[in-house]
Amino acid sequence: MLFSPGWRAHVRQGEVLAVFSLGLLLGGTLSATVLWLLSGFAAPLPRTARVGAILVLAVAGVAREAGWIRVPLPQNARQIPREVLQRRIRLGSLQFGFELGTGVRTYVSASAPYVVALGLVLAHQGPLATILTGTGFGVGRAVTATARYASRNHEWDDRRITRMPVLTNAIGVAVLIALAVFYL
Amino acid sequence: MPAPAETRPAGRLRRGLTEPLLPFAVLALLAVAAAASQRTVMCWASVGALAGYSLSGSV
Repeated sequence: MLFSPGWRAHVRQGEVLAVFSLGLLLGGTLSATVLWLLSGFAAPLPRTARVGAILVLAVAGVAREAGWIRVPLPQNARQIPREVLQRRIRLGSLQFGFELGTGVRTYVSASAPYVVALGLVLAHQGPLATILTGTGFGVGRAVTATARYASRNHEWDDRRITRMPVLTNAIGVAVLIALAVFYL
Repeated sequence: MPAPAETRPAGRLRRGLTEPLLPFAVLALLAVAAAASQRTVMCWASVGALAGYSLSGSV
């Protein structure tokens, strides 16, 4: 694990975290740029239909996390190979972060990323808002690695695993509330 | 012999600051506050960060 307290590699762990986080931001930014281009297809739809669809998606995200409905996710069910990190630690961390940041190269098991991605396509807003949402996605992923690193303790993973069910449900609700307040 | 630093229990302050629910609380407040004040970029960027954070631990 890149940010395990038991780090023994010759490269400083903080440096690896910085490079990994940069990769996450770049990956998220690239994916959001593609979504912004795709959002042009939603432009002909009336605003009320697009906003309605965004809110229905957000409600579906909450319902899926709560277990009220079953929706299979079109995720790329694979892990990024460990070999990525074994040859060159800095370049490997950047690649690892980038692949995770794109959100299309590995597991995406929560509903919120799908709600946000489809929401961005439907919202068809300016490039800055769309692209920075992708950068924000990378920041969100980097927060986990940073908190893990800052905790300096294996026990952090136990706390994270314990909180995950609450966390994914709460994030679904928060995304719904934020989008509803913004559009209604 | 004292345990290595990395295996010592985290202090209360460090535990509090690295609490996994804390980033959620901050980002959720930011997203809703930005939405209420119609700040498009901040609202969507915060929502994006929440989406990224929902994948905590997923590789």
